Amino acid sequence: MQKHRVMLILLICVSCLTAAAAAKDFSLIEQILRKVDEQSSFPDTDLSAVMTMIIEDPEQGLEKIVVRHFRRDDGERFLLLIEEPRTQRGQGYLLEGDNLWFYDPSSRKFAHTSLKESFQGTDARNADFSQWSYATSYKVVDYTEGTLGNFPVYIVDLEAVDDTVPYPYAKLWITKENHLVLRTQEFSLNKRLMRSGLFPSYARVENGVIPTQMIFIDELVEGKKTQITLSEISTAKLPDNVFTKAFLERANR
Amino acid sequence: MIGVILKISARNVWRQKKRSFLLAGAIAFGMFVITIINGLTGGVVGNIRVNFAHALGGHVFISGTEYSNQGIIYRVADDKELLAALDRYGDVVESVTRRSQTMASLIFGSRQAMQLVYGVDFEAEDKLLDSLVVTAGSLQDVTSEQLAIIPRSVAERLGVEPGETILMRLDTVTGQRNVGEFVVIALIEDQERYGISAVYVKRAYLNSLLGLEAHDYQALNLFLVTMEDADRVGSGFRTALGVPEPKRLADVRGIDDEQAMAELFGFSRAAEIEPWEGTRYQVTTINQIMEPVEAAVNALKTIGLVIFFILLVITMVGITNTFRMILIERTKEIGTMRAFGMQRHVVRNVFLMEALLLSAGGAAVGLIVYGLAALILGRIAWDTVPAMQFFLDQGRITFAASPGEIGSNICLVLFMSLLAAYFPAKAAAKLSPVKAMSSNL
Repeated sequence: MQKHRVMLILLICVSCLTAAAAAKDFSLIEQILRKVDEQSSFPDTDLSAVMTMIIEDPEQGLEKIVVRHFRRDDGERFLLLIEEPRTQRGQGYLLEGDNLWFYDPSSRKFAHTSLKESFQGTDARNADFSQWSYATSYKVVDYTEGTLGNFPVYIVDLEAVDDTVPYPYAKLWITKENHLVLRTQEFSLNKRLMRSGLFPSYARVENGVIPTQMIFIDELVEGKKTQITLSEISTAKLPDNVFTKAFLERANR
Repeated sequence: MIGVILKISARNVWRQKKRSFLLAGAIAFGMFVITIINGLTGGVVGNIRVNFAHALGGHVFISGTEYSNQGIIYRVADDKELLAALDRYGDVVESVTRRSQTMASLIFGSRQAMQLVYGVDFEAEDKLLDSLVVTAGSLQDVTSEQLAIIPRSVAERLGVEPGETILMRLDTVTGQRNVGEFVVIALIEDQERYGISAVYVKRAYLNSLLGLEAHDYQALNLFLVTMEDADRVGSGFRTALGVPEPKRLADVRGIDDEQAMAELFGFSRAAEIEPWEGTRYQVTTINQIMEPVEAAVNALKTIGLVIFFILLVITMVGITNTFRMILIERTKEIGTMRAFGMQRHVVRNVFLMEALLLSAGGAAVGLIVYGLAALILGRIAWDTVPAMQFFLDQGRITFAASPGEIGSNICLVLFMSLLAAYFPAKAAAKLSPVKAMSSNL
């Protein structure tokens, strides 16, 4: 009889704990995600920078790509213009709302591409250079608290709300103090880790922040990673014609 | 009268055995060369067609795309229209295969390679396994869900061997990242230079990675009872599914690659995408895919025909000279026959009949030698040359000279021989009996 009573109490405890876990309040984390989105968005100003990408490929060795990045969040536009290496100089990407175009000066042709595709064979995606929203693209499925290095962080598990994002599952390490994403892990549809991202340094730009160093690690190909460093960050107003196909064509003359 | 002419001509041919043998031999050689070139190219084209058909999974290929908020999705979700069209061609369709396909990155350790991957139902496509040339591993057991059959060149790039596990990174149909594990069971010879280099995996597992249901498919391929119906059936499906007729290779020569792709296959990456409702189909036939191969083979055939023609002209000069000699040798004999009442046209016809017998005999011998060569060479298994396998029928050379080609070559030989003998024959017919009989020759 005593044994049955203990079992019953245990069962009740487990049920309560499960229910408590199920009812975990994600509103704080959702708020933090909105904050993360907010401070990485620049609706009132243009943004330009020079991105230096160092790609470490175990097969092809080290490769350096220098890209000039122009971004206007109002209207969802960006333009990426490759400056180095010489063989790819003049190639560019232009985002106009839903359409992302790739321009190749050798053929003088524009071709459709997607934000989900990788950028020039690196571990970065085209989407990494555009405005991005965790709060609307993902829902929080769980979170824990922990530390990353010396920083107290929230470790947040996310699941995509639809199939518009390239990675259906993600895990973020967000600092408690100023809501910076320090680390990401992105998972495939069958929940296999595909890419890790590290964001060790940020710069304050106007009212927001922008990572000045990003490291993307390919978790499937041993030893493959891409390091992106941002410099010459500016919020100066850009002429409207920067975000046009004509600008990309002219940039090569 | 024809019997008499034939008898005299046959006797004359037989009288000069050595000379007749050499003339007929030259004709036979020419006939043999052109027939073996025709046979070889015909066989190669036939084998490539068959091997292409098995590798691609049919003779007519119908794929579908839909438009969604995420862009273009490659799948045939609602196939009512397609199956209705299929019903109409039930009598000419031997079998139907359903495939999925994707461009995926194959990963092994720190190496990776982009590769076309076909999701295949191996039980339904039994002929596919027979057409693959295995260089390592085995295709005996294809029951494992996560098997992969990969081209040898790709395996070398990755450094992978049968029995080892590779990763496959791909995008789902809506563009989300996914990854699968596959065990390599066999390495196969591919034909990269002809645009066929694919990894074969099970459709159900590939579908699960692509975000499709196990029974879904992206392309419906038709094996026809006779491959010759491919254009007709393809055209019928285009009409039924509202697909415009594609241009031929000759029509797009000179225009840039992007536009040529759009004209030939109906898609272009350079155009703004206009949203559409329902499934948009694309119909391709084996003949469209084979066009570049056939263009190369036709060039070979033209070279063969030129060689044949040169050989024929040389032989014809020989025939003309020989008949001029015969005319001189038989001047008295012709005079005697004319004195006994033989008409001019009969004398001419005897000469022409001799030329006809020689050329027909030569052509027949050439064809017999071709038959023997085809028989002997066709029995040799060329297993040691993997690069040739795609041109062969299970490791053996096939000769397939068409009756039309053989017939036209025979006609050409006979016509040229008659032409070569015509002028000496005409000269023989014009001989005066008195002068001929008094000749000292």
